[in-house]
Amino acid sequence: MKKSNPLTGMGKGYTLAEAMAEADRCLLCHDAPCSAGCPGGTDPGTFIRKLKFRNVTGAIRTIKRNNILGGACGALCPTAQLCERECSATGLVGGPIQIGKIQRALVEHAWAVGFRPLEKAERRREKIAVVGSGPAGLSCAAELAQTGFSVTVFEAKAKAGGVLRYGVPAYRFDPKFLDRELKDLVALGVVFKCSAPIRGPGAAEKLLKKGFAAVFLAPGLWEPIRLQDSAPSLPGLFTATEFLCALRDGKQAQIGKSIRGKRVAVIGGGSVAMDSAESAWRLGARDVYLVYRRSYTQMPAEEDERQDLLRSGIHFLLLNQPVGYRTGARGRLQAIQLVRTELGELDASGRRRPVEVKGSQWELPVDAVIEAIGAKAVPGGEGIAPSVKRTRDGLIPVDSKTGATSAKMIFAGGDIVRGPALIIEAVQDGKTAAHAIRRRLQK
Amino acid sequence: MAKPVDLSVDFCGFKLRNPFMLSSSPVSNSAEMVERAFEAGWAGVAYKTIVSDRLPIIHPSPRMNGYFGGGKKLLGVQNVEQTSDRGLKANLLDIMYLKKHWPDRLVMSSIMGFSNQEWADLSKASEDAGADMLEVNVSCPHMTVEGSGAKVGQVQDLVQKFTETCRNSCRIPIVAKMTPNITDITVPALYAKKGGADAIAAINSVAGLSGVGVDDWVPNPNVFGKGAASGFTGPAIKPIGLRYVAELAKCRELGLPLSGIGGIETWVDALEYLLIGSTTIQVTTGIIHYGQQIVESMIEGLSDYLASKKIARVGDLIGKALPNLHETHDFDLSRQGVARYDLDRCIGCGQCYTVCKDAGGWALDWDAQKRRPVLDEKKCLSCMVCSFACPVDGLITFKEMPPTYRRADTVTLGKGLEKQLKAKI
Ligand SMILES: Cc1cc2nc3c(=O)[nH]c(=O)nc-3n(C[C@H](O)[C@H](O)[C@H](O)COP(=O)(O)OP(=O)(O)OC[C@H]3O[C@@H](n4cnc5c(N)ncnc54)[C@H](O)[C@@H]3O)c2cc1C
Ligand SMILES: Cc1cc2nc3c(=O)[nH]c(=O)nc-3n(C[C@H](O)[C@H](O)[C@H](O)COP(=O)(O)O)c2cc1C
Ligand code: SF4
Repeated sequence: MKKSNPLTGMGKGYTLAEAMAEADRCLLCHDAPCSAGCPGGTDPGTFIRKLKFRNVTGAIRTIKRNNILGGACGALCPTAQLCERECSATGLVGGPIQIGKIQRALVEHAWAVGFRPLEKAERRREKIAVVGSGPAGLSCAAELAQTGFSVTVFEAKAKAGGVLRYGVPAYRFDPKFLDRELKDLVALGVVFKCSAPIRGPGAAEKLLKKGFAAVFLAPGLWEPIRLQDSAPSLPGLFTATEFLCALRDGKQAQIGKSIRGKRVAVIGGGSVAMDSAESAWRLGARDVYLVYRRSYTQMPAEEDERQDLLRSGIHFLLLNQPVGYRTGARGRLQAIQLVRTELGELDASGRRRPVEVKGSQWELPVDAVIEAIGAKAVPGGEGIAPSVKRTRDGLIPVDSKTGATSAKMIFAGGDIVRGPALIIEAVQDGKTAAHAIRRRLQK
Repeated sequence: MAKPVDLSVDFCGFKLRNPFMLSSSPVSNSAEMVERAFEAGWAGVAYKTIVSDRLPIIHPSPRMNGYFGGGKKLLGVQNVEQTSDRGLKANLLDIMYLKKHWPDRLVMSSIMGFSNQEWADLSKASEDAGADMLEVNVSCPHMTVEGSGAKVGQVQDLVQKFTETCRNSCRIPIVAKMTPNITDITVPALYAKKGGADAIAAINSVAGLSGVGVDDWVPNPNVFGKGAASGFTGPAIKPIGLRYVAELAKCRELGLPLSGIGGIETWVDALEYLLIGSTTIQVTTGIIHYGQQIVESMIEGLSDYLASKKIARVGDLIGKALPNLHETHDFDLSRQGVARYDLDRCIGCGQCYTVCKDAGGWALDWDAQKRRPVLDEKKCLSCMVCSFACPVDGLITFKEMPPTYRRADTVTLGKGLEKQLKAKI
């Protein structure tokens, strides 16, 4: 048997028969609460009903018309916090209907049988430029292509997908799965220009001058937030952004050397920290410490993600605030310096604030550290669209109903607007902007 | 853009936008209900059976009993519902309303007379109210009014007589709705044709008993201590409905368009009825269980099916299975097959082994170590009972064997047997 790579091998989804059996449990609620639970307009009430009544193609159509990344969302959405949380079957034996899994199975079934639920509309004259091929950009492109616009997606990296390709670990989301979903966009006539960053002063405005009728900005957040402002560059010290990206970008062997058999600390309590910790564990780290300054229940990561990590043997080091690093000979990382914390009064996020315990500083000996404490807009990014107003953090404020920025015919969406958010929210932003662009151009 | 498919059908000269209709029952009890169904996409209705106001219709209570298979999966419904709850005038006004607001939908007035004159009056009244067609209900199996409903449908002369009365009282097409509680359904259908029917609807409910209270010993539905056999409907009767429709479709002498009814919930069920010879199909229990909205998936599912088969019109499907419908003595018995096991997917439950031993051909051995069945193809009867028990979808399928295949011989009585029996004793 071929030895499988521990960093790939996305879990198998439901077969169609399994999806149908699960759909059979659906109660067909009046005014389906699941459908109200999705920030991206997904309508499980309808597609599960269709599946239950053997209208498989119709169910696929319902999913894909709303969301070109229906497969990705089926696999990656935190459904327990969204649609499934609203499911009326929650209180029954068997629990909530596994909506995400049904959705993924339907999209994969469409690929397997070659069913194409989306149709190209009649061609229109206008060309639209999309900057960034993450979920927001892809969603906007698909929506516009379905109404007949010629859409070109400009992507800085070598391949399309944004976080789906260069962030989410492959064991959660196979690049082949992404490629298959991207094919659905190509089939709609969307043109991808990869390794084609939009850069230089006023580059976005120049697109408008060059004949694009509208520009959608969706560059995401790719600048890691660092533990210390003057972030040291130490061998063995990584940001989650570079660590996860390297694993997806063919640099696995290289990065594996700093992790395999080593003691690794991951700083953070969100999903990205979980992905980093699990990836380090799968790469063969001897010990992985997840260092978080608050308590277990305050971690933003999903409950099942946290449980998976605990079960696999990752050490949770809670109520500890990292304050610095100790290096040894040749600048090699030797330890992470920590201060114990206790929970104080509520802070702005409504959670109890971690307060440092005086005199509790201690050191955890480690060989590598992955900082996973957030991401922000790439500094200088505002230069490519000087007419677009930004917040102090570099985010782009938009009209939430249209995705319109302060500049004419420039729209924006996804993480660059919301800060770190979800795939399905980025998808929704893409659609919102696409609808607004269509309305503007029809006038 | 893919070419849109055409779901419309012609039924007795009326063009329906699709073959899907509400059947006469509580789902078609009032204009409000039917209007909502039209909005949802249903193309026509057989309005809930109306009667003259001369005999009061008092319903037994409760009216229905569900028949479930495993948990809350409704396999069928047994009902003792009579004709309409509402007065004749209210119903006629509703029919008028529907025709006025929904001229493109088929509104069929279902009627039941308790005397010859009543059949005449109700026909005339229905036509005057604007009904496109008449459905002659000679098929309700549980009327509390003696000598009505299926009691009529089981007596050929009466079927012909009352159909004739209707024919002479109005000009709109007449659809006679048949009871399945009979041996040969073509007999009353042919009498209805003689009486002037233009089409046949089948089937009405199958007389049944859906359960008996084990504490009070009262059959269900328990109407204050009394039970009675009455109309049973829903998915459980689909095989009966399909068979009767097929027999009507095959009957050369009849040659009338058919409206298929019985256990339809999905586009696949509907398609099967079309393939076996129905032009339209009607639904009640599917709506009782899931609501009118099921029509959405019937329309979309059938459209996608036609598109995938590159068939432009649904009309081209009607009766397409009939040339493949034979008598059992027509089968080619020289071709034989066995069960095929995809053991890579086996989960080791061993149910196949149990049922093959207890109900099949003893063709399976059990590898206790590996927890896997071992098939002896020579013994396999291809009864397929193992595939019904297997929890893994598609693990056990049927495969044809080459002409050289010989099943292990069944023992026939021979001289040596008696000696062997003694040896055994
Ligand atoms: C590790 C990780 C795991 C996650 N897991 C999940 C999950 O399981 N479920 C979930 O719902 N959400 C998850 N998220 C969040 C989710 O991925 C993001 O909310 C989403 O990807 C945001 O989409 P976006 O289109 O705004 O940006 P991105 O996905 O970041 O895409 C932006 C794209 O724009 C490109 N770009 C940037 N600047 C330019 C330029 N000037 N010219 C051309 N191209 C440019 C970038 O290269 C990138 O490809 C995760 C995030 C991370 C970091
Ligand atoms: C509660 C109930 C009431 C019915 N009432 C009538 C009726 O008034 N007239 C009639 O012709 N058929 C009546 N039927 C029979 C249905 O129209 C239909 O023929 C039968 O239910 C089979 O179809 P189904 O399996 O889709 O329910 C009734 C059925 C039910 C369940
Ligand atoms: S559905 Fe229930 S509430 Fe409504 S009429 Fe029937 S028994 Fe009464």
